Amino acid sequence: IPACRTPGVKVPRNFRLLEELEEGQKGVGDGTVSWGLEDDEDIMLTRWTGMIIGPPRTIYENRMYSLKVECGPRYPESPPFVRFVTKINLNGVHNSNGVVDTRAVAALAKWQNSYSIRVVLQELRRLMMCKENMKLPQPPEGQLFSN
Amino acid sequence: MAENSGTDPTVDSNVVENAASDRTMIVVTVKTPKDKEEITISEDSSVAQFKEEISKRFNAKQDQLVLIFAGKILKDGDTLNQHSIKDGLTVHLVIKTAPNDTISSASSSGTPQANSSVNPSSAPNDSTTPDTGPTPASTQPPNLLSGFGDLSNLSGMGMGSANFMEMQQQMQRQLMSNPEMLSQIMDNPLVQNMMSNPDLMRQMIVTNPQMQQLMERNPEISHMLNNPELMRQTMELARNPAMMQEMMRNQDRALSNLESIPGGYNALRRMYTDIQEPMFSAAREQFGNNPFSALGGNLDSGVQPSRTENREPLPNPWGPPGTTPLESRGTGASTTTTTSAGGTAPSASNPLGINASGLGNGVFGSPGMQSLMQQISENPQLMQNMLSAPYMRSMMQSLAQNPDLASQGSNPTATTNPSQQQQQLMQQMLQMFAGGGGGSLTVTPEVRFQQQLDQLSAMGFINREANLQALIATGGDINAAIERLLGSQPS
Repeated sequence: IPACRTPGVKVPRNFRLLEELEEGQKGVGDGTVSWGLEDDEDIMLTRWTGMIIGPPRTIYENRMYSLKVECGPRYPESPPFVRFVTKINLNGVHNSNGVVDTRAVAALAKWQNSYSIRVVLQELRRLMMCKENMKLPQPPEGQLFSN
Repeated sequence: MAENSGTDPTVDSNVVENAASDRTMIVVTVKTPKDKEEITISEDSSVAQFKEEISKRFNAKQDQLVLIFAGKILKDGDTLNQHSIKDGLTVHLVIKTAPNDTISSASSSGTPQANSSVNPSSAPNDSTTPDTGPTPASTQPPNLLSGFGDLSNLSGMGMGSANFMEMQQQMQRQLMSNPEMLSQIMDNPLVQNMMSNPDLMRQMIVTNPQMQQLMERNPEISHMLNNPELMRQTMELARNPAMMQEMMRNQDRALSNLESIPGGYNALRRMYTDIQEPMFSAAREQFGNNPFSALGGNLDSGVQPSRTENREPLPNPWGPPGTTPLESRGTGASTTTTTSAGGTAPSASNPLGINASGLGNGVFGSPGMQSLMQQISENPQLMQNMLSAPYMRSMMQSLAQNPDLASQGSNPTATTNPSQQQQQLMQQMLQMFAGGGGGSLTVTPEVRFQQQLDQLSAMGFINREANLQALIATGGDINAAIERLLGSQPS
């Protein structure tokens, strides 16, 4: 785990993303979310895949949700684009294409440059545990959003 | 990693036998939400081979394993190389507990699942799903529902499920974690029939070996069990959560009345040690953990107020980690046992751990209680100690989970407690608990939440003070703490 980030210092984008890549591979965190580069050859470190393990005692339990996370050129100053690949019924996620509404997720709406892909994934997972979400009827497992 | 052809007998068994390839071995960490193991495997292996190793180590079937690395699911046909899995990296593992999903949906499935549904009475099925995570170990001692065992065995034959012990464990666990389930079960007419027969109930309880031990140790308990009136009351209560709460409230009140009686504290304390401790030891053996053991240890037969927390600052109900196994156990298992506690020492009259009888009859009527009350009145300090003891914490935890209960619990104590100090004490304790704050005694919140603090700072929450506050407020729950932090940060 890298040392505390000093406030005010802006870490260059690629450094940050490489750090996140490493954390993803080392399994930093509690093991309920996972993330990594979609394509190992992607030298711009733009396209990432994420995985969220559905939290227990919710309707998402035991399911694995795949996501696409895109870190644009202004990351980490700007939040990433996040989109569910696996179909899910969750407040804040567009039913048609799985795009996560930036305004619905606190981590995205109030993005800070100290946040990371992991924070976003964990927040989405936490949303699954909210009362308003935890019992939403879900599509059968294995379905994907059509682009 | 030295190349290993597997012929060396001293090599431990987790080395992959390289019949296939003699390439470099790598150590990969496999992490589940609950567990972590290091697995040594050839770097050329396929995911299927990897899963084979994993299934051995985690005691799960290969087709139950889902591996995730860097956000991608690893398919059996892939190789580790393909995903760039190298030495020292971590792969996430999810163990599906049943091939078919165990997601509880609104419609209760009539067909019992392979190793899960237990109901002797085909009562609610949707809540009998087993916990996620590793399959239940059948190493736990027979649980209290062994009386049900016969019935569940019968249905077990029909279902062809795993041994009924497992089912019982699961049912027990389900019960513990879901009080609603309990009331659902109680509502089922078959169960009610059974329960309305006090003899049968008594039988069931008596056949439980732990209860037998308990009864030997404390004849008062068997006396109680023999009292049909009491049993019936118990069953009523078990059936009706509202009534349960009522009872608890009554006990709250009565107990707080005790506070005002000189010498009352001693009595309560003795009541606890004499009756509840063995009771809960018995219960503990089933649940695998005894939140009260520390209490039993702390309260020697002599009056020893100095051993436990003093009043200033307010005692920490969670206590130092060493004395309270409760934290490790979590609240799931303790919910039923401790919801019963209300504001009081749980009465021993209810073997299911559900607080039953009002103080007017049953336990408190007996001569034992009279002397207890005397003792209690002699030493107010004890009352405090008892109340501040670890078991209070477990009760508090369940109270906190159910804020209604907490408010019910606190009101009577507030109103009926004549003594200012104790009133404050109770309120403060309850508030403190509900608020999640903690006065620290030997363990500061900072130390307790060390791990969480680290995680938070790793995530980029650099304001340690704020993190600590949030953690204290949420009782160590990182996710909730993050929410608090995000909520309070200026946008």
